[in-house]
Amino acid sequence: MNLEKVVFGFFVVLAATLNFGFFIGDIDKPELHNPYELFAAVVVNLIATVLKFGDRTQIGAVHLATSLVADLQLIGAALMFGYATYVSTAGMTAAWTASVVSLSGGALLANIVSVVLLVVETVSFHRG
Amino acid sequence: MGNPLLAFWKNIFDTEDDEGRIRRAAFRVAASSAAQASATIFLILRRMRAPLIVLIVIFSVSVFGLTIIPGQDAEGNPIEMGFFDAFYIMSYTATTIGFGEIPHPFTYNQRMWVTISIYLTVIGWAYAIGSLLALLNDRAFRSALALQHFSRKVSRLREPFLLIAGYGRTGEVLGHSFDALGRRFVVLDSSSERIERLELDSYHADVPGLAADARDPGHLAVAGLGHSCCEAVVALTDDEEANLAIVMAAALLRPELPVIARVTSRQIAERMQAFGSPSTVNPFDRFGDHLRLALRAPAAYQLLTWLESGPGAALPERGLPPRSGRWIVCGYGRMGRELTADLLAEGLEVTVIESHPTDVGDARLLVGDGSDPWVLAQADLDRAVGLVAGTDNDTTNLSLVAAARRSNPQLFLAARQNSPASAPLFAAMELDALLVPTEVVAHEVYAQLSTPLLWRFIRELPAMGNDWAAAIVDRLRGLCGSHLQTLWKVLLTAQEAPALASWLATGEARLGQLLRNPENRDEPLHAIVLLVLRGRQAMLAPEDDFVLQPGDELLLAGWSAARRALDTTLLVPGILEYLVTGERVPSSWLWRRLSAPRSNEASGVRSG
Repeated sequence: MNLEKVVFGFFVVLAATLNFGFFIGDIDKPELHNPYELFAAVVVNLIATVLKFGDRTQIGAVHLATSLVADLQLIGAALMFGYATYVSTAGMTAAWTASVVSLSGGALLANIVSVVLLVVETVSFHRG
Repeated sequence: MGNPLLAFWKNIFDTEDDEGRIRRAAFRVAASSAAQASATIFLILRRMRAPLIVLIVIFSVSVFGLTIIPGQDAEGNPIEMGFFDAFYIMSYTATTIGFGEIPHPFTYNQRMWVTISIYLTVIGWAYAIGSLLALLNDRAFRSALALQHFSRKVSRLREPFLLIAGYGRTGEVLGHSFDALGRRFVVLDSSSERIERLELDSYHADVPGLAADARDPGHLAVAGLGHSCCEAVVALTDDEEANLAIVMAAALLRPELPVIARVTSRQIAERMQAFGSPSTVNPFDRFGDHLRLALRAPAAYQLLTWLESGPGAALPERGLPPRSGRWIVCGYGRMGRELTADLLAEGLEVTVIESHPTDVGDARLLVGDGSDPWVLAQADLDRAVGLVAGTDNDTTNLSLVAAARRSNPQLFLAARQNSPASAPLFAAMELDALLVPTEVVAHEVYAQLSTPLLWRFIRELPAMGNDWAAAIVDRLRGLCGSHLQTLWKVLLTAQEAPALASWLATGEARLGQLLRNPENRDEPLHAIVLLVLRGRQAMLAPEDDFVLQPGDELLLAGWSAARRALDTTLLVPGILEYLVTGERVPSSWLWRRLSAPRSNEASGVRSG
């Protein structure tokens, strides 16, 4: 067992599950989407991205690309969330909530691709 | 090969010609070398993983802590800090900017947490920035960056360039002569100090240089071996094996490229000949040939060294080596061997002084150290005519020369200078002949590559005799003064000399008519034609009544003003008529129309 692989798989899967946890629920109800979960998703996604740095294989490059997409979407969602809470006078309306959650939904798709890649990599790995 | 696409692919590649295959091989080695460079950058990225993750974790923990610790507003109501506020506070705190406690003054609970976070984040930042700076100074990283920079510069070259492997003294001399000609070159050397010196050197053009082992074909390919503009490869490293490896790589990857290599031993030269037909330059062999030429035809030797030294060189003095008598050769190494053989071939008597007894052929051998006065006395200096100090030690050579001169001031003295640092000492000695192996090689390569015509001229020169050479030297000196001016090539084809086409076709085109000042035809141009190449036949220093033909290649020597004037004659229509007939022919369309009837009668040149 390779500790590096454990850490790598842990963060990739955790990024996807946190993202999923934030995404699930009615898209326009702010009380169903916990901002702490979004924060955790952003942080874990960033860590997963950094872990993918420096892998020269083709699959490593796709891994990094999916992670970058997820980061982009999640940071976008966090920025919209911040704007709705602090700047906009209306606060977290249904429309804002829907935008934030749909962005995180896009990131979820990228994270799912990442997990699929991880599974493919594991399955295609032959011992010896 | 179950896949039809793969089969198709294979078919395409198999039907392609050899040249494409070779070119592709060169590109492949270049790509693998470039991949090595990017591999280093990936490694560097990998090493940034830990600091970045530490930074992210510290940041997120601090921000998270701030959001869950309750605060108070001005009225004492409990409030929770949002993510944005927390992130903002941590950002300015962690970077030690410190805007204070906002939006409301902190509670003690919050302050405790912020205190902890300050220490944590400062450590995190310091670790991340420190690692980044350490990486920037990393040797592997810098050399990877240099390789990428270099390969980008080389691949962007759009004019013919020379690939010089080995930038020692020889490479430097050669580089400066080529730069003076306005030619580009790329340098590869294993020593990074020499590449740094290259960057400090004052060249007109930008010279890409890479500190890498030239024996690696990947480095050669990155330096432009596979580039379509690469016109020649020159192997000048001081390692024979490395030169052989360069010749091999060039011959296998780009067989059509001319290759010039420096060698000092015959074995390596023969091994090189197995790969295509590289031109090898052996400084000791060449010096021996030069000495023989100097013995037989001093003026021819003088002309040869002058032309090989390149533009701006001062006219060397014409030495008069003694043609009969006994010579003493000190040191029977690579140089001594060549020289002894050459002197014996000239019918001279030779005494060799060498500390290790070896087989010296017909020469008389004297075993002993040449710098030992007793051994020198044994050699009977008083009755010798010449002495060659040819050991590989400059101090020994200098002391030999000094001792020999004291016992017999009439001796013809030749010495070998090994290190460039001793150049002033040898210059102060005022020797009759000096061998600087590095310069011999540089001049030889220059003569071969600068213009092929000059090389042809130099090869034909020894056969022409001393008086002929003396006459050419006198003509050149009358024209250029004591310093050589430019040497250039003119091709009399319809593309390069459009204004001359019909005149050349008449069969009456005399050289003397062409070499006149376009402003005033009574003045000759300050240039002489050294060589006319017609097909494979070369005519050396043709006279004024020489008849030119279309397709002739001319090698000229003279002032650069003469070159410009001749270019005008070759390109601008009408000037040639003036030079030939003395009639000014209008060149603009209107004036040509107006004067058409008269000009047609007056000159038969254009109609002919």
